[in-house]
Amino acid sequence: MRLLFLALLFPLLGHAEPATVIRATELKSEPATDASTVAQLPENAAVEALERKGGWTRVKAAAGEGWVKMLALRYGGSGSAKKGDTGLAQVFNVARTGASGTQVTTGVRGLDEEKLANAQPNPAELEKLNNFAAERRAAAGFAAKGKLSAHPVAYPK
Amino acid sequence: MNRAIWLLALFIAAPAQAQFKLPDLNINKLIDTARGVVKATRDIDENEEIAIGRDVAARLLGAAPLVNDMRVQRYVNNVGRWLASQSERPDLPWRFGVMEAPQLNAFAVPGGTIFITRGLLEKMHSEAELAGVLSHEIVHVVRKHHLKAIQKGALAHLSADAAGAALNNVNAEARGKLIAFGTEMYSRGLDKGDEFEADRLGVVIAARGGYDSYGLPAVLQTLQGMNAKDSAVALMFKTHPAPGERLDTLATRMQPLLDSYAGQPQVRERFAMETRAAR
Repeated sequence: MRLLFLALLFPLLGHAEPATVIRATELKSEPATDASTVAQLPENAAVEALERKGGWTRVKAAAGEGWVKMLALRYGGSGSAKKGDTGLAQVFNVARTGASGTQVTTGVRGLDEEKLANAQPNPAELEKLNNFAAERRAAAGFAAKGKLSAHPVAYPK
Repeated sequence: MNRAIWLLALFIAAPAQAQFKLPDLNINKLIDTARGVVKATRDIDENEEIAIGRDVAARLLGAAPLVNDMRVQRYVNNVGRWLASQSERPDLPWRFGVMEAPQLNAFAVPGGTIFITRGLLEKMHSEAELAGVLSHEIVHVVRKHHLKAIQKGALAHLSADAAGAALNNVNAEARGKLIAFGTEMYSRGLDKGDEFEADRLGVVIAARGGYDSYGLPAVLQTLQGMNAKDSAVALMFKTHPAPGERLDTLATRMQPLLDSYAGQPQVRERFAMETRAAR
């Protein structure tokens, strides 16, 4: 029962990522500039990033919990080592040792410089790509279903 | 009066006549070379751009095939086609594909073909983030960043007439070299300025499409949190400015615009549903 409770709770907690603020930043009670200030975070203050809402990220800091401007955050923690290899090296090993047992090893090496340099045309895949194309009108219907509406926005100077 | 014209005509025609008689001069070759120079330095028209793009796309697919999941491929095409419709080149034959590769990357091919890898898709949390990345790539196509680099490369690596022949696809060998060069360009990367421009204008295209404008910054922040030595991001980091630098540049140049459209939808549920099998 307690385990089930924890399992249900876990997704709500989200995924906390260690981060630092790159400049002195106000910790806000809500994701808005005019919200009350919980605390002043000094430059390089360590925080735990919890979730993003528009241009704001909810963080847990030593001074309390609140929202900071998303672009004031850099992930990885101050001076601490970033996470290592995502395990691609292991994938490569599987590819090298070949199909031992039930391992499917097709295409796992993916896309690197050597592959790009030696690539030969694959017309069959190009044909598939063409078949997946969306018509402009169909895409507009898809956008409407997602409650997206287009409006003019000018490029910056 | 008539006599004057005749005299003039003779005067003009005489030297040309003499030229044709010079034994060492191959006038046909000269004309071909001149055509090649014109061909290689003038603007490439849209049909040629699309043809070059298809050849490059076929090579890229030779390096990594499409993810075998029709649902995610159709989904990414809908998102991409909607965004491309907000650009200055809405009627190109736009194609979007998710490539079967664990590395994190995305590619824009001249003429309107855009690829993202499964590895990058796996790191995203919403349709707005996907839209941010696709919009960045759409800008590369709209501004012809790769096409210009391919043309420049052709002129630097092939003789003028061979470059013209390659761009015009009249010589198979020269064309093969050009397309191989165009494919390898994705290992070398574009000018940094082109990447920063694609970030700035990409944010605008995503906002035009009605998405939360912070999608691209959010992906950049995810990338920034990864180890640069991670083999999954090695090629992407080699060919692009550092994600932290890109975030700084967006903060400096785009903060007011970003904040104006930050409240637009992120579309998380549909993204999770449509990409589930591919992630």
